[in-house]
Amino acid sequence: MLVLSGSAFPIQEWSELDYDALGAEIKKLRENVTGVTDTVLAASDGIPILADVAKDVDPAHISALAASDLAIARQAAEVIGLGVLNQTVVFGSEGYMAVYAIGRLSLLVVLGDKGLNLGRLLHESQPVIERVGAILAP
Amino acid sequence: MRCDAGRVTGALCVTGNAGGVFHLCDGVVVAVESPGSPVAVVQDGAFAVAVGEVERCFVDESVDRAPRTADEGVASDLLLSETARRLDVLASLPFPLAPYRDRVVAAPGTEAAALTARQREIVAHATGRRTARDLAFVVGRSLYSVTVEISRMLGGGLLEIATPATSFGFSHWGLTSLRPRKAATQASGRFLDQSTSLPIRRRGEPGRHSGIV
Repeated sequence: MLVLSGSAFPIQEWSELDYDALGAEIKKLRENVTGVTDTVLAASDGIPILADVAKDVDPAHISALAASDLAIARQAAEVIGLGVLNQTVVFGSEGYMAVYAIGRLSLLVVLGDKGLNLGRLLHESQPVIERVGAILAP
Repeated sequence: MRCDAGRVTGALCVTGNAGGVFHLCDGVVVAVESPGSPVAVVQDGAFAVAVGEVERCFVDESVDRAPRTADEGVASDLLLSETARRLDVLASLPFPLAPYRDRVVAAPGTEAAALTARQREIVAHATGRRTARDLAFVVGRSLYSVTVEISRMLGGGLLEIATPATSFGFSHWGLTSLRPRKAATQASGRFLDQSTSLPIRRRGEPGRHSGIV
C-alpha cells in the first residue's frame, strides 16, 4: 500500500505496477476508436501514472484538470442524488475530453479530436476501465 | 442492404470503426456522417465507412433529422459504384494504406523545398502518432484524397510507417516522487515528527524564534 498526498490510497506500490499491462489496455482505445488522440492515467488527486500523449500535451496539466473536473462532477452527482459518478465528457468545438472514474482512487483521461466516435468510445471504454481498475488494485 | 427500391426515408446506421450514418430521403442518400470523414461530402463519407471495419448495419426510421447539406443527394447505386471504384484505386496503389491503422512519419532526409504545398502540410503534421484519417482532420481535406496522397508519398519515400514506439509513446517517468511519505521523512532530518510528518520545534534546540519564548 502507498500513501499519496496525505490521503490513504490503497493502490499497489507504484514501482510494482504492471505498466506494460496498463499500456496494452489503454492502447486499445486509440487503436479501436477513431478520433482518440491522447490518453492519461492518473491518481484521483491529479498525479499522472501513465501517459500516451503528443509532444504538445502536458500529462501533469491534463491530470490536474481531470482530477478537478471529476471531483466537482462527483460532488454534483452525490448532492443531486445521481448515484455513483462514472464519467464526464467535455464537448468542445474542436474536440473532446472524456474523464472516467476508476473507483474513487484513479481516473483515465481520453482526449479526442472533433471527429471522435463518441458512441464507440463509450462502448469500448467500459471493459478497459474494468481491467485497468483490476490491474491498479488487484 | 437495398434502400433505393423501397424508397427508404430514415437513417442507415453502420456500426464499426469508423462506422457512420447514411441519411436517406426516398431512397436517395442526402448525407453521410462518419467519424472517418472531415468534410460533409456524401462520397467521402461513404468511402470512410466502407474502408473501415463494418460490424452491423440497420435502418433506423426514427431518425428524421438529416444534417443540412447543399448537396441534392446521390442515388444509392451511383454511390455504391463510386465507393467501390475508390476502394479499387486505393488497393491498386503501390503502397495500399489502412487509413485508420497505419501511422505515418516524415522519412529522414525529406526536403520541404521538393514538396508540393499539400505534401508539405501533410509532412508537417505527420508526427508518427497520426493516421491518414487523423491527418485528413488536421488539414481539413477529404479522407480519400489524403489517403491516396499519403499512399503515394509512402511509395515515393517521402513518408514512412512509424514504429510502434513512435506511435504509442507510453511514459511513467519512473515516478520517483511517489514514494511513501514515511520513507521520505526518515531521510530528511531530525525536526520531522513521524506521526504527523510536520516539522516541530523542541525545547532547547536552536530555531528561528528560539529567543522569544
